[in-house]
Amino acid sequence: MFKYLIKRVLWMIPMLIGISLISFFIMHLAPGDITNNEASFNPKASEESRQKLREMYNLDKPIIVQYGLWLKRMMTLDFGKSFASHQKPVFWQTTDADGNVTEGLIQQALPITLMINLLGLTITLSLAIPLGIIAARKYQGWQDRSITLFNFIGFSIPGFWLSLLLMYWLGVVNNWFPISGMHSLNYDSLDTWDKIKDTFSHLFLPVVIPSITGLAGITLFVKNGMLDVLQQDYITTARAKGLGEHKVVYTHALRNALLPLITIIGLSIPGLIGGSVIAETIFAIPGMGKLFYDAVLMRDFPVVMGILTIGSALTLVGNLLADVAYAWADPRVRRGVAKA
Amino acid sequence: MSPLLLNLNTAICLSLTLLVAGCNAPNEKQYQIDYTTQFPQVSGGTLINAMTGEPSGLISMIAGESASSAISSNIFNSLLKYDKNLELEGDLVAHWEISTDQKTITFKLKPNLKWADNNPLTSADVLFTWQAVTNEKNASPYASDFLLVKKAETPDAQTFRVTYEQAYAPALDSWAGLQILPKHLLEGKDLHTTAFARKPIGSHYYQLDSWKHGEHLKLSKNANSVLGPAQIDNLVTRIIPDNSAQFLELMADNIDLMGLDPIKYSRIIPARPELQKKLALYKELGNSYTYMGFNLKHKPFDDVRVRRAINYAIDKQEIIDGVYLGLGINIASPYKPGTRWSNPALTPYPYDPAKARSLLKEAGFTDSNGDGILERDGKPFSFEIITNQNKEREKSAVLIQRRLKEVGIDVQIRAIEWASFISRFIKTGDFDVVVLGWGLGLDPDQYNIWHSSQQAPGQFNFIGYNNPKVDKLLEQGRLELNPDRRMEVYHQFSATLLEDSPIIYLSAGYGLTAIHKRVKGIDDPAPPAGIGHNSQDWYIPKSLRRNEISAH
Repeated sequence: MFKYLIKRVLWMIPMLIGISLISFFIMHLAPGDITNNEASFNPKASEESRQKLREMYNLDKPIIVQYGLWLKRMMTLDFGKSFASHQKPVFWQTTDADGNVTEGLIQQALPITLMINLLGLTITLSLAIPLGIIAARKYQGWQDRSITLFNFIGFSIPGFWLSLLLMYWLGVVNNWFPISGMHSLNYDSLDTWDKIKDTFSHLFLPVVIPSITGLAGITLFVKNGMLDVLQQDYITTARAKGLGEHKVVYTHALRNALLPLITIIGLSIPGLIGGSVIAETIFAIPGMGKLFYDAVLMRDFPVVMGILTIGSALTLVGNLLADVAYAWADPRVRRGVAKA
Repeated sequence: MSPLLLNLNTAICLSLTLLVAGCNAPNEKQYQIDYTTQFPQVSGGTLINAMTGEPSGLISMIAGESASSAISSNIFNSLLKYDKNLELEGDLVAHWEISTDQKTITFKLKPNLKWADNNPLTSADVLFTWQAVTNEKNASPYASDFLLVKKAETPDAQTFRVTYEQAYAPALDSWAGLQILPKHLLEGKDLHTTAFARKPIGSHYYQLDSWKHGEHLKLSKNANSVLGPAQIDNLVTRIIPDNSAQFLELMADNIDLMGLDPIKYSRIIPARPELQKKLALYKELGNSYTYMGFNLKHKPFDDVRVRRAINYAIDKQEIIDGVYLGLGINIASPYKPGTRWSNPALTPYPYDPAKARSLLKEAGFTDSNGDGILERDGKPFSFEIITNQNKEREKSAVLIQRRLKEVGIDVQIRAIEWASFISRFIKTGDFDVVVLGWGLGLDPDQYNIWHSSQQAPGQFNFIGYNNPKVDKLLEQGRLELNPDRRMEVYHQFSATLLEDSPIIYLSAGYGLTAIHKRVKGIDDPAPPAGIGHNSQDWYIPKSLRRNEISAH
């Protein structure tokens, strides 16, 4: 087991280099660079100054040299500085000679996105698992049908449209929730309890809406897993032993039915840090999705590469963790009887 | 709704003290306030504003984007500024003198100027700022105007003198655009990375109080303001990237001010009495216009008859009415109508398809195979309009496509993402026709756009315009500092440009703004400089401020 783990971790290094190489080249294949943004299309701004900027950022060098420079920095885990944004550090804060701390872009955006997505995932799971179980137990009954209907309505509604409607209804017509942003303007003067309430009310819509629209997939997953398991012989055995229905379903069936969820959660780890451009834009949340999107439009290569590298590293780690968790949860995998 | 949720609502409601104006049907309460009554001018209060993008930093000579200068112009002064009628006046400067050979300008600073941190503001700061903007290492996009200064000197702490190689008329405008930075805080620092960009010290009406990344910037009054105190205590700018969300915030009374698009201005707000009651709408002409430009190096656009024919074939009023809902005007010169640089004798090309047809025939285009599309030398007259992904420009292109089809020209349209648009098509000159816009400064010099020497990749005469007469006028206009003689030059320039028709002016759109009626002291109708020219005198009467309203 330990040897296997070491092997897997070592394998991640060439994989990461490969991923970074491909993303670096794809990014540079896109036409234009940081000096082509809309603000620079100004007759007052001269081409010479744009050329100087290109030299400053090494954009005038051949792409393979640029990749080499980037890789060299990455060896020391230096993600570099953004081209835009007054050259803020991409990943983590730096301190200048006068003791001024400049926070990194990912450092600022990641906790926000992580918090929203973790809350969202928790809500989704805590709704999807019970709903999936009910739907499986009452398969083809009215409960199953109405859960399926509800899920598909949620799945089919465009998130941004539902968001705007709810913002209008809950924020403008009724004034129950704030419309956008992370905090009230007077946040700093609130006491701790009010700060929690303030954050909660601001996060309510951005967390709840994606969890409702994301409910359908996981509910179906749980339901199908449950249906499969409930038809297995050992469930019949359990029932034949005279175990109560509650014990059969929740102790014997559920644990096995939830096994595939491990894979889903493992796969959702990169999604947790990805964030959603649309939701973050509508709700004015400075998260990872918006950061990445703006960086692509600006051709801010260090930021794009930083996010892609961290994202792919986390994907690999997520897969590894899912496999390990599988081995831990399923004795057949652990003993090499069945493949994960 | 469950009792739990109800309690939740009450709890949240109680916690939102500042933003929410009381929770028991707050909207109805506000409708009862009569915003039209007269209130005495008092200082204080907070104005909340919204922006779609966050500034990268507040040193605008480096940042370059409009979000940055929108904030930094409240924090920093320039040597000169424009008054409400767009004439230059002193900002940091008490008076200035131009030497008889027009090559030297001497600025005399106002006495006893101070930075917000109490250090004196002297000519050394001005010299430092000039050195910074021209320093190669800083790669400022605005360096070119200032690189023309041959010598800059500070005879004493109040005096700053610049000498140009030859007379340079846009110089005064350039000094109105350069925000003066404090030498004592920036000397020896790298302007691209200095923390000063995120906590600046300036000299203007406001100083930065706090900046919450991705959320808001708060400015508060600068006690040392070189132009005296502003009325409103705090300016808060919230960062709300989505326009619809911004509008919802405006409706819910959480922001006071927002730029509008034509639909919101002329359809949505007028249709809602509750919004009309609390929002005042303003429109002002900006210094910008939308145009259709030809690649003059491609056939058949090198033929002036073809360009004029297309100009006659396009119904500009239809574009203004259809795309901008009437909130724009038809122009005949590249200057803002009503300013001295705009030539009042010129009239735009009228919509005249018959004339267009005869001009095209004159140029050798006939429909020889009867398919409705004109041909010359067996080749059909067909081209592609490219534009960036901008709704108004795309819609304008569609209307143009239809009108040109009527005179027998086949047009395709392609909208392209900005960076690709510039690097793949504009820089390489690989296009037939573009629909784009120019947003211009207040100085009439447009050398960079029209002079034949400005055609290299990345320069701004990308349509390849080359007319020796215009070249000469543009050179002359740069040398002439006398405003009246200079005006003559640019009137001639606009007339030639209109005759040549290298671009077709489609429309100059109005800038549209909604401001909550609690904000008083705004000039309506807007003077030539726009409503913002006296924003330091805007005030919010005590009884209309947010806290007071919620205390009712």
